[in-house]
Amino acid sequence: MTDTDGPKPASTKPRRVTLLLGTAVLLLALVETVNAVVAPRLAPTDRDWESAAQAVRAGHAPGDLIVAAPLFADPLLRLHLGDLLPQPMVGRMDDRRFGRIWEISQRGAQAQEVLGDKPALDARHGALIVRRYDRKAARLTYDFFMQWRNAHLSFLAPGGREVPCGLADDRHRCSEGNVSLKPQLLEIDTRPRAVFSTVPVQGGTTVLEFPQVPMGSELAVGAGLHNVWLRKGGDGVVQVRILVDGQERAVVKAGSRTGFTMQSIDTSALFNRRVAVRFEITSDQAAARHLGFVAEARTP
Amino acid sequence: MTPEPRSPWYRREIFLPMLLMLFTVLWMLAVEGKQGIGRDEAQYFRAGERYFGFFESVAVHAQEGHLGRAFSRANVDAFFDDNHEHPALMKLLYGVSWRLFHRCDCPAKKGLHPIPIRGKHITLPLFTRESTAFRFPAILMAALGVGLVYWLSRKVLSPVPSAVAAVLSVAQPHHFFHAQIACFDVPITVMAILVAFAYFKSLKSPTWGILCGLFWGLALATKHNAWLMPFFLLPHYLWIRRRDFLRLRPPRIPLAFLSMATLGPIVLYIFWPWLWHAPVERAKGWVVRHTQHEHYNFEYLGRNWNLPPKEWDRQMLRATFPFVSAGLTLPVTTLALFVVGTGVFLRRRQRKADAVLQDEPTAPMARPSFLRPGADVDLAPGIFLAIHIAGPIAIVALPQTPIFGGVKHFMPAMPFLCVVVGAGAAWVLKTTRAWYAHRRFHKAFEVVLASLLCLPAVAETQRSHPDGLGHYNLIAGGFAGGASLGMNRQFWGYSVLPLLPWMAKHRPPSNRIYWHDVLHDSLVMYSREGRLPVGIGDVGVGEHVLANSDLGIIIWEKHFVLYDVLAMEAYHTTRPVRVYHHEGVPFVLVYERRPPAEAGMP
Repeated sequence: MTDTDGPKPASTKPRRVTLLLGTAVLLLALVETVNAVVAPRLAPTDRDWESAAQAVRAGHAPGDLIVAAPLFADPLLRLHLGDLLPQPMVGRMDDRRFGRIWEISQRGAQAQEVLGDKPALDARHGALIVRRYDRKAARLTYDFFMQWRNAHLSFLAPGGREVPCGLADDRHRCSEGNVSLKPQLLEIDTRPRAVFSTVPVQGGTTVLEFPQVPMGSELAVGAGLHNVWLRKGGDGVVQVRILVDGQERAVVKAGSRTGFTMQSIDTSALFNRRVAVRFEITSDQAAARHLGFVAEARTP
Repeated sequence: MTPEPRSPWYRREIFLPMLLMLFTVLWMLAVEGKQGIGRDEAQYFRAGERYFGFFESVAVHAQEGHLGRAFSRANVDAFFDDNHEHPALMKLLYGVSWRLFHRCDCPAKKGLHPIPIRGKHITLPLFTRESTAFRFPAILMAALGVGLVYWLSRKVLSPVPSAVAAVLSVAQPHHFFHAQIACFDVPITVMAILVAFAYFKSLKSPTWGILCGLFWGLALATKHNAWLMPFFLLPHYLWIRRRDFLRLRPPRIPLAFLSMATLGPIVLYIFWPWLWHAPVERAKGWVVRHTQHEHYNFEYLGRNWNLPPKEWDRQMLRATFPFVSAGLTLPVTTLALFVVGTGVFLRRRQRKADAVLQDEPTAPMARPSFLRPGADVDLAPGIFLAIHIAGPIAIVALPQTPIFGGVKHFMPAMPFLCVVVGAGAAWVLKTTRAWYAHRRFHKAFEVVLASLLCLPAVAETQRSHPDGLGHYNLIAGGFAGGASLGMNRQFWGYSVLPLLPWMAKHRPPSNRIYWHDVLHDSLVMYSREGRLPVGIGDVGVGEHVLANSDLGIIIWEKHFVLYDVLAMEAYHTTRPVRVYHHEGVPFVLVYERRPPAEAGMP
């Protein structure tokens, strides 16, 4: 088919710029083809992972944290080093307590936990790089999660009547209202979190109290809602009211879109003292709400 | 007037597209066996086989002398109630293809079939696996799409760039993933171009006007996306006839639209027996189902999206989804050619001697009618393509539109986009001709350069297989780049296939296995094909059943971290025993039960 309107007289010789542009597209095609063939060969292999894992094992000390960068490689990290990553470590609230962090990195990525830090050790294993970061860790004065049996659970039913609760196997359980609380690995904001797991009761208050907490200069609390389907289905907010030595110090709110919220409470005035720490959990709309929360008393 | 000499056979309009279609079929048949069976596909296998069962029931009823009973509501519903949220056309084809081409050992596995097996089927056993027989019509449809892109491109381009457009329309990792499986996403994409092609031809041909209605009926019988097609055709028609409004004379309703309005519903009704006994009520149910579709979970830029965003900044971010996804999933050379091709179409009206586009000239003196409503006007191919590209993308960009299907939901834009890509290729070939025009084998040189333009897309597509959904382009940084950016990498639980031999070998003595997002219908098909042992355990679906298993699969998607956590808790470990990954990007995890002490929990 041709244009019958009559072509305007024009030179058929392309200008230099158009020739360059056309050539650039052809060159791009060449580069992209080469990349498609070469890039898969540059990805980390199982052998790279084995070698990197071996290097980490050789220098690993109990309590060291191991992370993958980028985060998408976390399942491969756990495949090779999962035995060094117990559930509380995988579901950690944050990384402040860890003095040594091993990072297995690829593609130049750096894990959130060590962003901006300088490594003490840096070794390449094929397409992977093993780095060790040594840093000052926060001194943990009380790990609420591990001390869950030393806490006391109570439930204030709607109207204010206190329901008795007690310790039963793997959890605290109340005699009425199907109220319970236990340490558990939960999914919060699409991450594993080792937290106290409890389902709030509308109109009631679930109270967890630790009577003798040795305080550092900071009380860190994290809270969020468990289960991606429940977060989608429900709309209510769960409140965690934190009282230290009888005084309200913070309220953490957990809703479908809040993720895992961290709150740091300055407790320097209570440094080295043993005080009661109390968590009060309420929700005005408790349908499809499952709370996970956890805390650490520490000195950064 | 002497008649024009007949072109040699290899130059005829049919040869090149047929060759491309044949290559498409061979390519897909060569690789589809590595593609696992996804949730939806497994249901369509089951439904397809059941729908075929209807024809068997007709034969049985006829033999027994009461044919009418075969068409009773009870009998029709007994077969077509299955998966009735989607029309039946493709599932009918899948079922018929299975019946014709599978290698039958059905009596030995009769308990795994959704219909009664009365004996060994007499078939033409073209394919080793039953799933290939089911998939064959989808593959043929994908090939037809390649041909249609070629023929649509030929409306404005010469053969070589048209061939580039056709090749690049299938050489897209995400499209290729969907093209080889027995689902509806590529068939409806092909239907989109078929209807659009017929409409475009109908502007000067009444035959195509009638065909347009028939094709739209087939499109309706393929998937509900067809509802949108008239909304993309109408603006184009109004645009080309815009001068009628200036003359205060509304444009005639073209034959294509009349045909669509009449033949479309009739064809839908014929090919969807579910409607036969309650057409209005059930068609209404179909519309309600898809206009009120729930939002599934989908990862985009590191976030899990499963509800329409409320905050304006999230709404804006959500709106970028189809543009960013297209920009990061299409091969970069294809994108570059699209940019160049857009420039070519924008300069179309300048009509220079070296114009790249070769569309038909306008005949202002011709007499238009409703039979040939485009006879006297410019057909505005650029506007036609722009609407068909922007339309599906714009709909997916709306904040209220579910995004759970990702790229597949705006795939109907891609064939049209590839016509523009073809224009870009034509421009590149034309501008670089200065290098080689004087050489002896300049024609061959042009073909080599055209092939070079296709090569990266073909290489990327082959590289992505069988995990095309997780593939991202050079800009994103490939599989790992897409994963780093927090882009969706899979859905439907298809990716378990490479782990099946391991699962069969490590089947626990209890036979209690959790398969997560792998649908029971998929397991049935794997068993029918001998890829899993018959009777392999399946504790079922849901969060509560995971703890009942001793071996479990977790499909690694962002929102499925829930199940990863449940598996860690149930199996007392954080350490999977196997991880299937593609270029270092995890897709599937396998856990085995460990002693409770290993969890390290207080």
